[in-house]
Amino acid sequence: MFHKSSQGKHWIFRSEDDVEQKRLTANQKFRSVTLESGKPAVSESMFLERHEEDVLFRHYEKRMVDFCNAFKPVMPKSVVGTAIMYFRRFYLNNSIMEYHPRIIMLTCAYLSCKVDEFNVSSTQFVGNLLQETPAGQEMVLEQILEFELLLIQQLNFHLVVHTPYRPMEGLLIDLKTRYPTLENPESLRKNADEFLTQAAMTDAGLLFPPSQIALTAILNSASRAGLSMESYLNECLRLKEDKETLSKMYDSMRQMKTLLRKYELPNAEEVNAYKKKLERIHAEFSISSNKRKRGYEEDGHVSKEPRLIEEVRPYLHDMLTVKQSGTTYFHSRFSLQEWTDEDLV
Amino acid sequence: MDDQGCPRCKTTKYRNPSLKLMVNVCGHTLCENCVEMLFARGSGNCVQCDTPLRKSNFRVQLFEDPAVDKEVEIRKKVLKIYNKRDFDFPSLREYNDYLEQLEDTVYNLTNNIDVESTKLQMEQYQKENRDLIQKNKVKLTREQEEVEELILLEQQGNEQRRLDLLQEEQRQLQAKRKNKQALLDELEQSQLPATILLAQHKVRAAKLETQIEQQKQTVKPTSLFSTGIHMHQTVSLQPPPKIEEVLYLYKPLQVVTYGPPVPELEQLGRLGYLNHVRAAMPQDTAGGYTSALACHRAIQDAFSGLFPLKR
Repeated sequence: MFHKSSQGKHWIFRSEDDVEQKRLTANQKFRSVTLESGKPAVSESMFLERHEEDVLFRHYEKRMVDFCNAFKPVMPKSVVGTAIMYFRRFYLNNSIMEYHPRIIMLTCAYLSCKVDEFNVSSTQFVGNLLQETPAGQEMVLEQILEFELLLIQQLNFHLVVHTPYRPMEGLLIDLKTRYPTLENPESLRKNADEFLTQAAMTDAGLLFPPSQIALTAILNSASRAGLSMESYLNECLRLKEDKETLSKMYDSMRQMKTLLRKYELPNAEEVNAYKKKLERIHAEFSISSNKRKRGYEEDGHVSKEPRLIEEVRPYLHDMLTVKQSGTTYFHSRFSLQEWTDEDLV
Repeated sequence: MDDQGCPRCKTTKYRNPSLKLMVNVCGHTLCENCVEMLFARGSGNCVQCDTPLRKSNFRVQLFEDPAVDKEVEIRKKVLKIYNKRDFDFPSLREYNDYLEQLEDTVYNLTNNIDVESTKLQMEQYQKENRDLIQKNKVKLTREQEEVEELILLEQQGNEQRRLDLLQEEQRQLQAKRKNKQALLDELEQSQLPATILLAQHKVRAAKLETQIEQQKQTVKPTSLFSTGIHMHQTVSLQPPPKIEEVLYLYKPLQVVTYGPPVPELEQLGRLGYLNHVRAAMPQDTAGGYTSALACHRAIQDAFSGLFPLKR
């Protein structure tokens, strides 16, 4: 059934190389388009390399997760997961140099609230940008609305995202019912949750179905607690006969764990250096990118928008500066929400 | 409506939306005032394209785009010559070719392409098919006459009905008046006390009212239904023929999960899954929710796609 969903059909890739290839193509496409456009101040060194783009991507992703976690009212985990997935999918086919991540990340969060039926009014949403004045918040909201349609288009209108949180709940229920050997599956929950949040920041969502990710999370948590779940896999999931599938599953789980281990938090100095480059690129090509930003034509807006964006850009830049200590400018009270059975409705 | 101004006086169209635009043979517009002014001075040239014009060539603009009006005029003239009908042609292909020729002519004349050669072509065609054109003209006029006759008949029918209605009303009014007059006379002359007379009058008035009502309700019987079928046409009351078809067979939905089998919704309680799910509160069950639904969905999601696809 998952394989029939839009995520299973269009957004699951065979290998990490496939994913990396797509990002490379997007990067190169932007380069060639800008070089061809014949602007005077263009040079190869101005563009961001793939690894630089990666660093910035991870930085803005972390920023988005912190924003979602500091959100009032409390954002459910599936909404956060959906937002991260949108962000990831968007930058699979587009380069960071073309669309600036700070607006895209807010647009992803906004869209994910709507899609996941987490009802927040738009004013409430921008009200969570605590460092802005109400006028600044309004300007940000206008930008979000401008980019929203573009985001939906780039997601190919596939808006339903299956996150691993519900499969994890299902597996826990199954464990409790059919696997009495394991005394207290609830103890596994906390570690599994952490695993899932870390997995969301990797490409695991683009490579594996969410149920596999959830299973890996639980097995990982069990092995950290020193419990063996072999017999669960063999008996309850009826894999004793099917050695091939079992070995394949172990392979994917190992691959996933490697992905998680490879993730590193972005280095603040590198981030600042690359950000300056990014700002320069956007300032240079902002006139052309302004036109492309428009997801829909509104004749009345044409003269108004470019000026607004130019005004807001330095303002937003100051707002989102990362302090040296590594803590973000938002007040992040990172509270791990306990996903109990109560939330199963 | 006033997205275009008059090219001569420019502002007047905006200020006065009720002002009409006139269009001439070159396809350019002029407002009424300007037309008069232009021809009062005696000079007859279009403002934009300097073609010599006559005042009679100006027609009131029907369409927003003057080019359309121009084309409509040209088409009328062309159709007077090219007036063959579809049964004049032995095959559909030839009729279509003829139509295409017609359209080309109209297009050329409208957009001032090859005007000379097109006009020559038209004249040639006219010479060749003179009698056919004549015949068709006659046919066309005959058809138009028939249509006009029908319209006339309808109008006459309407008139007739209206007159009848008026007469009816007149009669009713008169009857009422007579009644009143009769009452007044009786009050004058008769010996009976006034109350009895009034009562009698009231009875008569009531009778009149019911008569009028009845008349209104008796609809004149017609011989035709509105669809044109005659009233007394016999319709067969036999049932329509029965069509034998293959009966629909319900096949239950087969869901393929690339994963372990998911227990049925109904079995969940028996298998003990529901002990680990939050029980449904009374408010929830009122809407038809059971905890088995949420449990089933979670299990489905957990097992769907769990096994790697065999590629």
